[in-house]
Amino acid sequence: MAVETLKFLPWIPLLGAVLCAICCTSPALRRLAGAICVLSVASALALALGVYFGPQSQAALSGTTVHALRWIDVHSFSAGFSYYIDGLTMIMLFVVTGIGALIALYATGYMKGDRGYARFFFGVCLFIFAMTTLVMADSLVLLYLGWEGVGLCSYLLIGYYYDKPFAVEAAKKAFIVNRIGDLGFALGIFLTWTTFDTVSLHEAIEKARHILEHGGEITTAMQCIPFLLMAGAFGKSAQFPLYVWLPDAMAGPTPVSALIHAATMVTSGVFMIARLIPIFELSTYALPVVAIIGTFTALLAATIALTNNDLKGVFAYSTVSQLGYMFLGVGVLSTTGGIFHLFTHAFFKALLFLTAGSVMHALAGQLDIRTMGGLRKRMPVTCWLMFAGCLALAGVPPFSGFVSKDMILHDALARGLHGEPLFFVLAIAGLFTALLTAYYTFRLWFRVFMGPERFEMGEEHGHDEHAAHDEHASGGHGPHEMPWWPMNLPLVVLAIGAIAAGILAEYVGGEHGWMHTMIEHSTASVEHEFHGELFGLSLHSVMVVLSLLIAALGIGTAAYLHWLRRDAAGVLEQKFAPLVKLLVNKYYVDELYDLAIVRPLRGCGKFFNLIDDYLIQGFLVQIVGGWGPRLVGYVLKPSQSGRLQSYGVGMAVGVVIVMVILIFKLTGN
Amino acid sequence: MGEPINDVALAHFLLTGGLLFVLGMIGFLIRRNLIIMFLCTELMFQGVAVTLVAFSKFHLDVSGQTFVIFVLTIAAAEAALALGLVVLLFRSKHTLDAEAWGELNG
Amino acid sequence: MPVDPPLLLYLGSALGAAALLMLMPQAGRGVRLLGTLLGAVTLGGVWLVLYRQYAAGYGLKMEAGALPFYYVFSAVAVGSAVAVIASRKPVHAALWFIMVVLASAGLFLTLTAEFMAFAMIIIYGGAILVTYMFVIMLAASSGDPEHGEDLPDYDRHWRSPAAAVLCGFLLLAVLLSFAFEGRSPAPGSNQMSDQQIIDNVLTNRSEKRLAESLAPALSPADLAKMNEVAGSQQQLNNVERVGLDLFEGHPLGLELAGVILTVSLVGAVVIVRLPVGREGTVDHG
Repeated sequence: MAVETLKFLPWIPLLGAVLCAICCTSPALRRLAGAICVLSVASALALALGVYFGPQSQAALSGTTVHALRWIDVHSFSAGFSYYIDGLTMIMLFVVTGIGALIALYATGYMKGDRGYARFFFGVCLFIFAMTTLVMADSLVLLYLGWEGVGLCSYLLIGYYYDKPFAVEAAKKAFIVNRIGDLGFALGIFLTWTTFDTVSLHEAIEKARHILEHGGEITTAMQCIPFLLMAGAFGKSAQFPLYVWLPDAMAGPTPVSALIHAATMVTSGVFMIARLIPIFELSTYALPVVAIIGTFTALLAATIALTNNDLKGVFAYSTVSQLGYMFLGVGVLSTTGGIFHLFTHAFFKALLFLTAGSVMHALAGQLDIRTMGGLRKRMPVTCWLMFAGCLALAGVPPFSGFVSKDMILHDALARGLHGEPLFFVLAIAGLFTALLTAYYTFRLWFRVFMGPERFEMGEEHGHDEHAAHDEHASGGHGPHEMPWWPMNLPLVVLAIGAIAAGILAEYVGGEHGWMHTMIEHSTASVEHEFHGELFGLSLHSVMVVLSLLIAALGIGTAAYLHWLRRDAAGVLEQKFAPLVKLLVNKYYVDELYDLAIVRPLRGCGKFFNLIDDYLIQGFLVQIVGGWGPRLVGYVLKPSQSGRLQSYGVGMAVGVVIVMVILIFKLTGN
Repeated sequence: MGEPINDVALAHFLLTGGLLFVLGMIGFLIRRNLIIMFLCTELMFQGVAVTLVAFSKFHLDVSGQTFVIFVLTIAAAEAALALGLVVLLFRSKHTLDAEAWGELNG
Repeated sequence: MPVDPPLLLYLGSALGAAALLMLMPQAGRGVRLLGTLLGAVTLGGVWLVLYRQYAAGYGLKMEAGALPFYYVFSAVAVGSAVAVIASRKPVHAALWFIMVVLASAGLFLTLTAEFMAFAMIIIYGGAILVTYMFVIMLAASSGDPEHGEDLPDYDRHWRSPAAAVLCGFLLLAVLLSFAFEGRSPAPGSNQMSDQQIIDNVLTNRSEKRLAESLAPALSPADLAKMNEVAGSQQQLNNVERVGLDLFEGHPLGLELAGVILTVSLVGAVVIVRLPVGREGTVDHG
């Protein structure tokens, strides 16, 4: 298939969304929504694959603009539905549609019997439309459209259980926190327009490249653009200080957490920075700031995850932490590493969330890992699937998480060894975070699946009633394994990805591996090569050894504390009680925001409410607006006698007066 | 169109037209019977028609007479609607008194 | 100049107002007779003074022999108009109104507006007034039998006659002080003479065009005779002028008039078919 056919890709999920919306209207149609969603996303994936393997020159896939629709065309400003296709776009398309299709398939089983079945898949389809628009956009304005579109879908799906207050709160929180970042992003786009005279991605990038390569004046405005765009990326990708919405976003259904809040949407900030990397290079400080914030967030979130007892919460913080890695990657100019980690992370984090969803499903909504234990006998498939995901997340070689994380840390360390001490510090912090990651990941896994069997069912009984689990329900109440179709099979695919995607993408296809080749043929390509030596060994070998050691240390500690000697964990907890308390309360960041931002704003609101009550409602509306007209009405009321001829006299008198005035006017001259 | 009339002759016709108009207006204001009230508006139309035709003759411009045709048209339309309304009002209150319909007072 | 016209007209208006007030139905028979006399005398007096002032020197130029007819028709029109508003029974008012229509048609004739005169009689005197008659019959209301009256109360009393009459005659005075200011005619700039219209618009009637078209086929003698005929003036009658002005000058107005008539026809049908509720309200639906 020719590259041009890609312009139809985003519209397939949109069509699916429309059909799902139609399905919402009738209970009979409702069950069709899942199939429609899966089919539309899968056909989008098929289209992307068809184009990728189609008989076109590789050049076409390394930077082609495809025009689909005219949108805004005013004077010299034009922003249309035109798509920019390059290696980065293709990777993102594979991730979005591929992972999306698998998660949607899983969700057809997971959401079965739910009241808002069709509404859920409407949201998913719309999300895929917005996300594909985002990753394919050639104009920044279209990118912003997709950006806000995924934000909207995120809001809709976090608040999917709209009858639960905490879900509504979480949805609002996500939306509002994202607004802060998006304001920066919008300003960045405006500034791009005024600075580069274009909102087209590839034109702006070309101009930035030209300045970088041939020298040219870098204005202050140009240096400001990356910082403004960065704000948007930090908001969307949940980086410090705007990360607070992501853990709460787990209020949505688990497939949503997997798709939007782990695999795709939250990575769009990383994608955006990688996409615009030449613009970010214009400022000397922009990328280091990205790296610092990323590393700091990674460390911060990892420490919070250490003590979190919420099944999805741990993964939520680990997502924040892994996003921090990705930012570190793009921040050290290792766009390949950043995008690579995005790619592998999509697999294993989706896998982890979905297996967590299976556990939660089996335990009727129970999320507290302190109540769980030894579930491997009841849910063997889920157990080992999650194990694969945990290994990948923990960065155990040669699982995919290791390969990509290793690339980031290696590049950071290499730059650190080349006389940039900042990156050395960041790399060390990254390694420490990897240790924490290995620990908290396996803490969770050991807690849930190992040790003596125990569980407490949650409060959601709805899931047990539906037809898909009738055969399991006969086994009495208690956790049960998920059916292979449609739930466990997609997980197996994801697990294969989590195990092998890293190795395959790193070592198969092209001289430097598939991932490298793809990124090289995209706007994210950078011309830096990082190599270094440490202790007489190549840095790569050192990293493999280091990673193995770190992972082993983390997993070993977790196994000791949470599988073999659970009582020791309690003792340790007692010992470091203040620290644990600090971590359990997430450094009191939410409370701090509440104190510093929410309360003053609420105070302002109360003040203005007083003004509204007394000045506007009281004085203007009640007195000026209420009594004034009443007084005028009281005076004028008798004139409206209801007698036709009184009105006639009024008219006649008026005519006479006008005529008299006219006479005096005319005779006066 | 023949010879025009002069301004004094015109003034005489204006006197007649004005009298008809004013009498119609007075009739509209003092009579309480809905039918006669509408008859009085027709009287006002007559005054206007005389004035228009007189000016037409004075200026030797036939447009004045053309406008009388329009006045006739409107008068016919008004008569149809107004009388239809009068019949409706009479059917519902069995009186033609204009003051019986004072419910829209302030 | 013995009398200043505005002053005369103001005086006449005041007297006319007084006369009309005396015609109130509440008043006695003698007072009403006196009022009629006063009105007639006032109108006659005003005309007499005006005639004396203008006919001698300045002239009161109308069509030949039209002046007496003006006085007769005006007197009938004004008198009938007073009768319309003063008669108690609606039927009488309608009949008097026919007299007004006939008299103003006569006035149109003195102004050589023959078409308008007959259109007025046919449409007003015929169609519209017949409609009024029908409605008067339909809505005939009986009076109050207890007081031996066959007329309802609202036909026996005027409401606030003094204010209305004062207002009306004040307006008349104001209007008339305009009317007797000297003015000069301003014919429409696009008005063509009859001959121009015939030659340019109604070409099938134009002798001149006929002569031109036949010129090659005619002998010189015939041609000379033809030219002689073509040179003579042709005239359009009143109907033709009005028709031309209506269709050439006001086509849009004509269409709109048609629309208005259609709408009012439909509206009248709808209004009459509305069901009437028991408590004297109109049910919608």
